[in-house]
Amino acid sequence: MAWRIGVDIGGTFTDVAMVEEETGRIGIAKVPTTPLDFAEGVLAGLAQGLERQGVGADAVTLLSHATTIVTNALLEKKGAPCAFVGTRGHRDVLELRRSVRIDLYDLEQDPPPVIIPRQNRFEITERVDAQGDVVTPLDESEIPALVAQIKASGAQTVAVSFLFSFLNPAHEQRVGALLREALPGVQIFLSSDVLPEIREFERASTTAVCAYVGPLLESYLTRLSSAVEGIGLPELHVMGSSGGVVDIAECLRMPAQAVESGPAAGVIAAALAGEQLGLDRVLSFDMGGTTAKASVIVDGEIQVTAEYEVGGTSNAKRWLNGSGHPIRVPVVDLAEVSSGGGSIAWVDLGGALKVGPHSAGSLPGPVAYGRGGDKPTVTDANVILGYLNPVSLLDGELKINREGAVRAMEAEVGAALGLSAHEAAQRVVQVVNANMTQALRIVSVERGLDPTEFTLMAFGGAGAIHAIFLAEELGMTSVVVPPAPGVFSALGLVTTNLKRDWSKTVYADLAGMTPQALQAEYTTMEADGLKMLEGAKVPEARRRLVRQADVRYRRQAYELTVNVPEGELNDAAMEAIATAFHEKHRQTYGHANEAEPIQLVNIRLSALGLLPSLRLSMDIDPAAARRETRPVWFPEAGEVDCPVIWRDGIAADAEFAGPAIVESLDATTVVPPGWTVKVDADGFLHARRA
Amino acid sequence: MAGFDTPNPTAGIDAARFEVVKNALISAAEEMKIVLAKTAYSPLLKMAGDYSCGIFSATGDMVAQGPDLPIHLGSMPDAVRSVVQTFPEPVEGEVYIHNDPYHGGSHLPDVNVVMPAFYEGRLLGYGCVRAHWPDIGGGAPGSYSAVTEIYGEGLRMPPTRIYVDGKPDENIERFILANVRAPSERQGDLRAQVAANRRAVDRMGALAKKYGTDELLRIMDAILDYSEVMMRAALRGIPDGTARFVDTIDGDGIVEPGEAHDQTFKVALTLTKTGDEITLDFEGSDPRVKGPMNAPLTVTASGCFAALKWALDPKALIPPNSGAWRPVTVTAPKGCVVNAQEPAPVTYANHEMSARISDIVFRCLHDLAPGRTPAGSQGTGGVTIFGGQDYRNGNTYISYEVTKGGFGARPMMDGMNGVSTCIGNMLNTPVEIMEMSFPVRIEEYTLAADTGGAGKYRGGLGVRRIWRVLGADANCATCVERTMTPAFGLDGGREGACAEVTLVLPDGTRERKEGKGGFAAPKDSLLIFQVPGSGGYGRPAERDPEALRADLAAGYVTPEAAARDYPEAFEILNQAGA
Repeated sequence: MAWRIGVDIGGTFTDVAMVEEETGRIGIAKVPTTPLDFAEGVLAGLAQGLERQGVGADAVTLLSHATTIVTNALLEKKGAPCAFVGTRGHRDVLELRRSVRIDLYDLEQDPPPVIIPRQNRFEITERVDAQGDVVTPLDESEIPALVAQIKASGAQTVAVSFLFSFLNPAHEQRVGALLREALPGVQIFLSSDVLPEIREFERASTTAVCAYVGPLLESYLTRLSSAVEGIGLPELHVMGSSGGVVDIAECLRMPAQAVESGPAAGVIAAALAGEQLGLDRVLSFDMGGTTAKASVIVDGEIQVTAEYEVGGTSNAKRWLNGSGHPIRVPVVDLAEVSSGGGSIAWVDLGGALKVGPHSAGSLPGPVAYGRGGDKPTVTDANVILGYLNPVSLLDGELKINREGAVRAMEAEVGAALGLSAHEAAQRVVQVVNANMTQALRIVSVERGLDPTEFTLMAFGGAGAIHAIFLAEELGMTSVVVPPAPGVFSALGLVTTNLKRDWSKTVYADLAGMTPQALQAEYTTMEADGLKMLEGAKVPEARRRLVRQADVRYRRQAYELTVNVPEGELNDAAMEAIATAFHEKHRQTYGHANEAEPIQLVNIRLSALGLLPSLRLSMDIDPAAARRETRPVWFPEAGEVDCPVIWRDGIAADAEFAGPAIVESLDATTVVPPGWTVKVDADGFLHARRA
Repeated sequence: MAGFDTPNPTAGIDAARFEVVKNALISAAEEMKIVLAKTAYSPLLKMAGDYSCGIFSATGDMVAQGPDLPIHLGSMPDAVRSVVQTFPEPVEGEVYIHNDPYHGGSHLPDVNVVMPAFYEGRLLGYGCVRAHWPDIGGGAPGSYSAVTEIYGEGLRMPPTRIYVDGKPDENIERFILANVRAPSERQGDLRAQVAANRRAVDRMGALAKKYGTDELLRIMDAILDYSEVMMRAALRGIPDGTARFVDTIDGDGIVEPGEAHDQTFKVALTLTKTGDEITLDFEGSDPRVKGPMNAPLTVTASGCFAALKWALDPKALIPPNSGAWRPVTVTAPKGCVVNAQEPAPVTYANHEMSARISDIVFRCLHDLAPGRTPAGSQGTGGVTIFGGQDYRNGNTYISYEVTKGGFGARPMMDGMNGVSTCIGNMLNTPVEIMEMSFPVRIEEYTLAADTGGAGKYRGGLGVRRIWRVLGADANCATCVERTMTPAFGLDGGREGACAEVTLVLPDGTRERKEGKGGFAAPKDSLLIFQVPGSGGYGRPAERDPEALRADLAAGYVTPEAAARDYPEAFEILNQAGA
């Protein structure tokens, strides 16, 4: 028996998912998160999980975890005091940003505070030009004064980012060496190590984020890894935001990559489930208490983007608006909207019904949870309409106050619109569904992908309640609800390959570059990749190197990422890059311009250590079969007496038609009329439009 | 909550459907923006975002605006309306182009591309993308010449059909491209504008298919009514009354023979608010000026609308569309500098006059309803253009950049440093992209200390950007306001620092330049361009000493300026430190 364990540390709960490698059998545990010392919750969850499955620590072969510590450090401004060193004349690069205001019209807005305050930002005389040539040599005589300033500032870490260091890193490297020598114990991050890519603000910002969260991440990982090793578990791994796990050393080299750790794990789990079910196009939909996230998986590949702001409000639209701190590391391409079970419904001055962006969170929570919430939420609407159990949830542990939900819905929404609480709840669900549909559209339609060709994979605490309604909205005919949807992200952690990414700006015309020159660039990166995989003791047969390139028409400013052929590059391979780009441009924007020169901006390499594949499966317990009915409202049918089925007791190959509600410990699935559900041998629910 | 006595604009439409369709239209306008940024060729569009996208009704009302530039709010509907007038019977697959400031355009470089949307043969409305082309012909690269008639400012296009059956009319396109610099780059930008419009048309068609054409059109009307109701409610929230302010504008770019400097001129505003309506009357403003600082009324109105939106809707709850402006009337005598008539030149006025006008509106509103408006801001677009031949490859180049200064201090907060005025929201162009694209080196890009007006709440800082011209001589054009008239403070707050433009020749000679105009910048010369800081709010004596301490630590305020401008707080800090 060999088991893999994934731990997803969320805001409210720490989820533990365990999978047995040979059989794919799943075990789960859910315990409260312990923010003062995360290790406490993690150990409690691990103990619960191991005990339930009767597994010893020595049977565990892999332990991965997802953390929100990097995001929280930025949101709560808890990072380390750090200093910045820039090119003479450019110390304000972090503060001037792209000179954009967050909002067009909000009088009370302010940009987010710069994570390195101005008094800790220094300059040194040096300059490299746009061709990578030194035009002003580094003035090393300024170093002693710089060292004294950094010492006086109390900085624990230093971010160094010079202009054009992605073309010529010599000055940065020299300053790095001199500072390390003069400032023992102070960690130095160089932009040419962290992110050798064009655009000085984004590069400096990524480097600054690393410096800011580095020390906190280090103490957190040290504490947590010694705690789990203390109970005999294997080395702790961390989920990176690009959809692979990394070891602790790599995570600390580039702390910014741990930013979207948890959400990335959910997408990975969806990709694995898609592969197991033989689905080549999957839209993943993850809805929790405060946000809903969507992502696409095509032919088993998750999509990543290098445009991301951490701690901002912008990622819903994939439009960077300056509300957060940009990092240019690969992040799973998610569209996120502020819609979750806790989103509050309200009516504005003009009489329009709004849902969110404010959330009741876990405290006070929805009115129906009876923890002091008095504002009607999406969860309250779901209780009123009969989607959620009107008596209790979590197998009886959470009592539901339906009357309270009705009263709040009536007072806060119904009265203003002249509607009953039930009518108001119907509209609340319709509005929140429309908001979430936008997230699904952003990752599909906006990328030129037709959602009707996809299967919707729904998970998260609330995902399966809304998923089929969203599918209808988008004209999709197939929805899958995996086993254990409520802890699905933790499940993703145990199926994630070891992964590390390298990138380099080359900024060359594709036509002007020889295959040999490009090959030489990849060879250098591939040597680094193999070194990492050897270091992590990945057996040779499980090593994989993936080449990609960011390419654009020469006069455009944004790139599309395309795959680069494997093996020794030749003229045909160069042609294949061009063809792939024209095709992707046509698919994304509706036109291609084959006469226009193509520019190679960044080249990328991912080194992967592949895990043996798994098959997810849920035990079925016919003894648990239960069936009852309750009144449930559906958009076209109105209120109907609807069957409610307990999921653990549904036999394999069972088939039933909507309307139906499927309940389990961790999630509820709503099946409207017109849809039929088939349960497969592994416990997946397959819903299809009849 | 909807406790007001006006008719409900959404009556008869399902509450959920209204919200869904409204958001879908806004989302479509956002998608247009993304498509344009990702496919355009010129750095001004792809990096700096100098454009706006919108969805319009069949009569040319703006129904949804993307997250773009407030300045285009007021004048884009006029641009679409003039297309509607010229082509009253649009056909599917047609696209129109138009940049005429005397028919709803703003200035010649702002090129509108308009595409009608149909479903089952019925007209739904239009998509429109207004994008600033870095060049539209005329006397100088970048089309920012200090000329005295619009004919010298570049190619002027009345509403013209440029696509038929979804394909470009090559006659028209050739004609346009023959009149602009770097034509193949312009063609790429034009294609990007059409691609963005296609997105709008697709989205509108899908909504009509889903909800029915009649229902979509009814909801589009209701969205306009909804904004109107919200704006009227906001107007009722401020006292009735009249306020007047006369401001000085710092020249039109023309230095007449015998004059030492560009001459200033006056803009006067009388603002009258009664019940749920407001009138802005510019009677008493100076007549047209010789150079391109003349604002067509549509540009004047844009500055007014943007300022009203900020002041009356500080939490940004009212969807910005044409309905919001129904309770607002903007008037000015024909032929005056804020209601320019053909053939007055207009290029600078588009951003300079509308920025200054927004400050004038804020100043009047402050008298009427204190505590709702910011102090004076930078009042300028802060434009710098270099043009010439790139020594590295022999290509002709035109750069166009904006440098952002101080945003006015607010009733409860300091001003913002180095962001746009309330009428814009363009991005800077990254230094590395600039230097890769053009033969210049940016030697400094920093916040300028002591440029924010002193006050209980300090004004936002101005910014200094210094370019070195590399390899060959260049033509340089600048356009910046407030070189003489600083941004005003409010409630006892002090003025911000003025703009300064200096050319340092290779031999070290320093030449102070006017804010607006063109000059030769020899190889290896330095252009030092400092944009204005903004005004402070409240008396400096009331500044929290801790806020001053933070400003001193950051270097926003120097000790000398602190001793001079904030003696009380500075004294407290000194005692605490002693």
